[in-house]
Amino acid sequence: MLKFENLTLKYEDKLAIRQLSLSIKAGEKLAIIGTSGAGKSTLLSHLYQCLKSEAAYSSQKQGLVEGLSTYHNVFMGALARHHWSYNLFNLVSPFKQPLAEVTQLCQELELDFPVSKKLSELSGGQRQRVALARALYQSKDIFIGDEPFSALDPLMSRRLLDMVFERHNTVIMVLHDKSLALEHFDRIIGLKQGQLHLDARQDELTSEMVDDFYCDIPLTAASHVLAVSDV
Amino acid sequence: MFKSLPFIGYWQKTTFTLWLIAALCFYFADTEIISLDPWSELRLMAEGFLRPDFFATEYLLEALWQTVSFALLGVVFGLLWGAPLALIYSNRFVAMLCAITRSIHEIFWALLFLQIFGLSPVTGILAIGLPYGATFARVFHDILLQSPKTTVQTLPYGTDKVSRYFYGRISHVLVPIMAYIRYRFECALRSSAVLGFIGMPTLGFYLETAFRQGHYHEGAALLILFIALIGTISLWCRPRLIAVYVVAALFTLPSIPPVDGALLWRFITQDVLPPALQNLTTWSQIDLGVMQSLSNWSQNLLVEQAFPGMIVTLLLALVSLAMAHGVAVVGAGLASNLLTGKLVSSGIHLCLLVLRSVPEYIFAFLFMMLLGPSMLPAMLALALHNGALIAYLTVRQSDTTQVSPHYNGRIDGYCYDVLPQIYPNLMGLLFYRFEVILRETAIFGILGIASLGFYIDSGFSEIRYSSALFLMGCTALLNIVVDIISRRLLIANTGTQISCARESGLSSVN
Repeated sequence: MLKFENLTLKYEDKLAIRQLSLSIKAGEKLAIIGTSGAGKSTLLSHLYQCLKSEAAYSSQKQGLVEGLSTYHNVFMGALARHHWSYNLFNLVSPFKQPLAEVTQLCQELELDFPVSKKLSELSGGQRQRVALARALYQSKDIFIGDEPFSALDPLMSRRLLDMVFERHNTVIMVLHDKSLALEHFDRIIGLKQGQLHLDARQDELTSEMVDDFYCDIPLTAASHVLAVSDV
Repeated sequence: MFKSLPFIGYWQKTTFTLWLIAALCFYFADTEIISLDPWSELRLMAEGFLRPDFFATEYLLEALWQTVSFALLGVVFGLLWGAPLALIYSNRFVAMLCAITRSIHEIFWALLFLQIFGLSPVTGILAIGLPYGATFARVFHDILLQSPKTTVQTLPYGTDKVSRYFYGRISHVLVPIMAYIRYRFECALRSSAVLGFIGMPTLGFYLETAFRQGHYHEGAALLILFIALIGTISLWCRPRLIAVYVVAALFTLPSIPPVDGALLWRFITQDVLPPALQNLTTWSQIDLGVMQSLSNWSQNLLVEQAFPGMIVTLLLALVSLAMAHGVAVVGAGLASNLLTGKLVSSGIHLCLLVLRSVPEYIFAFLFMMLLGPSMLPAMLALALHNGALIAYLTVRQSDTTQVSPHYNGRIDGYCYDVLPQIYPNLMGLLFYRFEVILRETAIFGILGIASLGFYIDSGFSEIRYSSALFLMGCTALLNIVVDIISRRLLIANTGTQISCARESGLSSVN
């Protein structure tokens, strides 16, 4: 589905991804792990740029609109499916069919309040689920998520992850919960300072390998840090 | 001079400098009280307010409704032309056009349109709609610039442009924009009432008549009704009702007298031109002599009217600014429940509401009845209205400030704990208000104070339209220059951009 060699990306003028080679097959469930600043989000948004015509993207910047209702925030996932006049009319007075669909979706996501509630009245966990609902409502083949469950408890994360799997053929997700990654995904890749340091199928991978990945600092990077601090 | 005083901080220096300048200006300003017996007049007025007569005014409901309908239609007209311009406001030419339109006060616009349309509703609606539209363009542009861009980035692939714009950008700014429109509507009500002073059939017309004739019971009733009208906006101005109001306002407009085309043409091609150009028929007639008399004409106007007018305007505005500062600091202190307790602070809150509801112009008019024609009534009016407004906004901040656990609730504790926290914001608002004060100062000329408005008003009444227009240009220029300078100073000294939108914070209160 997607393949690149020696990819180098910048984030705010700093090198975020260095000479990375990766191929992703359709139908894969791929988890990306790594410490903060490893370049995960940069890689993810690049993947989305490559796949955007068939992918739904749940970004860390949720892009939610404070002044709009929950319903409208979720509906925004369907903007591309309708004519602009339909979208504008819906902004003033919601249509029945999308309203029913969004209400249903929100209930599945355990958002148990009226969808007319303003976004500004929601808690952090609720917002994250609204952002997720918007991505799900896009009904795309591929789901690309950047820590979409970071504000939720582990049990709910598992339930919602199942929902995401049910509705998408391919799933690419950055996760900070490594047990979630190990239990549910086919393939796990680990990023460290913009480079690929781990790429394994679920059955080859053990918890120790992941712990090792998080522990050791690669020699090259460490010496680089030392060199800088000497100056 | 401050170098040897290590404990005198930035804001103390600024305050001291402001008061020093104001004291100098006060010395040169004309503040003599010319009144035979202000106390008996005051007693009569107080009696009027104690026993207001709500049934004295014929056409009372009509006047109230006309005030509302001019304000409403003015705002709608302003939105119609201002909101689209907000999208292209980054264009320099558009920005300049808006700056000029905005810098001329509603009353001056009204005086101008009065010559063309007469006492027609068109005059009132255009006079409010033109400067308001220009303000909308600028403020909406500012608000749009501040809207987050993350939503647009996360919209699904293939979303069309219109949906993108409305869901990604406009939806973010809808709440602040609605709040700002509400605030502007309140301002428009004040402007609409004041238009009565130059003859439009709004509340100001009846107010002026009542007070001038000494019918204080009647005048007091009108003023109380006006304050109640503004204080209860949130009750009668429901979003769903607005459409109904607009339609009703359109249908109940007083009939529009026909505009004489020939007169209008004469006005545009002859009357507004300087005398030297009036009798020319072709461009080729412009020679050295014409240029000479043109330059003499403008020089005379500049030296005899524009400069003296500007000086008086600036003197008046600066003194009023310092006085407004005093009112704001004292008012904010008294209205803070951290200092005076619940009962007193809510009483002061009510006073602040009344003071900021009444237009400066009406205050100045009342004070002038009491104290006679000098700059003092105008200073008091500007200081009370603007000081109350700033105090009101500041108190909202001070009510949410955190105080230390050993806060003692006395004046010393307030000065240590609360005042330093709210002061920068108070000063920011004060300096932003300077632009507004300056604009308002100009119109006090119509009450007889020799500011720029005085010369403009006499230009119109003596049918010297060209000089009136020339002086209006000078006023606009003065406002724009002061606006640019104060913005630069503010950004340089506080590092913050004070935008007009800050004031819309007001609207969520009523």
